[in-house]
Amino acid sequence: MNPKKSAPRKQTCRIIRAVGTAWFFLLAAAVTTNAHNVTVFAWVDGDTVYVESKFSGGRTAKNAPIEVLDGAGNLILSGKTDEQGKFSFQVPGKTEMKVVLHAGMGHKAIWSIPAEDLEGLDTLPPAPAAATVKQRPAPVASPQPMEPSAAAESVGPTALEIEKTVEKVLDKKLKPVLKMLADSRPSGPDIRDILGGIGYIFGLVGLAAYLRYRRSGKSSAAAAADDDPTATGNR
Amino acid sequence: MHISEGVLSGPVLISGAVLAAAGTAVGLKKIDYDRIARVGILSASFFVASLIHVPIGPASIHLIMNGLVGLLLGWAAFPAILVALLMQGVFFQYGGITTLGVNTMIMALPAVICYHLFAPLLAKGRKAVLAAAFGCGFCAVLLGAVIVGLALMFTEEKFLEVATLVVTAHLPVMIIEGLITAFTVVFLQKVQPSMLPTFDGSPQKTANSQK
Repeated sequence: MNPKKSAPRKQTCRIIRAVGTAWFFLLAAAVTTNAHNVTVFAWVDGDTVYVESKFSGGRTAKNAPIEVLDGAGNLILSGKTDEQGKFSFQVPGKTEMKVVLHAGMGHKAIWSIPAEDLEGLDTLPPAPAAATVKQRPAPVASPQPMEPSAAAESVGPTALEIEKTVEKVLDKKLKPVLKMLADSRPSGPDIRDILGGIGYIFGLVGLAAYLRYRRSGKSSAAAAADDDPTATGNR
Repeated sequence: MHISEGVLSGPVLISGAVLAAAGTAVGLKKIDYDRIARVGILSASFFVASLIHVPIGPASIHLIMNGLVGLLLGWAAFPAILVALLMQGVFFQYGGITTLGVNTMIMALPAVICYHLFAPLLAKGRKAVLAAAFGCGFCAVLLGAVIVGLALMFTEEKFLEVATLVVTAHLPVMIIEGLITAFTVVFLQKVQPSMLPTFDGSPQKTANSQK
């Protein structure tokens, strides 16, 4: 009796140990590497929209087609990401935009740029903006904006000009921050997600086992002793 | 191999969901009490395997392990993979909720097909077992890639183009999964042969009860 009982137990111990080791390696690998879930991130800087693409885990989507749609879903322009997974384009106009990345094989990601992000721009930016910028510094003979002297010379910077300058500086200052945000956004699943998912699965197993146990317990009870009708009533 | 939200057309999503529900129903019927824990463990393995990223080839790919799940579970691979995919969708944002049915079909159907193709070979000699396990891991991914192509064909893209793209992208994974499956099966044969669908000791008893 005894050896018969201990043999399977030994085997069970062995398999538990093996499964444990396997899990350890799986988890160790899981923590350091991530898999794919593609994301796209776009921001407006001046009159250009910068787009960055990423698979979670840090790989970028190279040479992936990108489409830019307006609010109504019409195609405005399309292009491809470069070797770094980046793409940029001139703001086509003051509309809401949707940047759609097709990473192939059923992977797709969307980033929307609301119209408010383009507020500071003139409509159809290249032509008028370039003209004012070029004309203004001409009398001062310096490409750098020298507001005080310009103010002394003439009526002074208009509210529009100040607004533009402030925006320009802000854009410049915020660029690294935006870049950081773009880099940190798709952080991929972390250990909590992994353990949470495994926990749910094991919980479901427990639930299934419990239901099965109750059912089989009841049916065997019913088979064994048929004198208790309430026990089998609801099954 | 997970198809994202918003890629597929409605009819494809719905038919995928219906087929996956049918497969899951069959799978749930075939799970008996002794196998619940095994289904859960393999479901969890499938869930975690997708985090192991294979940095070879043009696209970003990860292990899938549907071959191993299919070989050890048979039809019960359907509920196991469905639950794991739901968790991946919720926790990792892989795939999505609307594409859950299609993704289940992509990964669970090949698992079941490979089970029927390769499980009978496990009763044969040592070399046959190795070959069968490798083939199971390899073909499960291959068939999955073909189903991805099929699903995308009905939406916008050309079948052959997509299928070849997906297959070439997953070639490294196919080989790796074949090796892992072969290794696992050989290991299980030594340590716990009753886990395998057929084994020498007393076949057709515990593990084969689902047939």
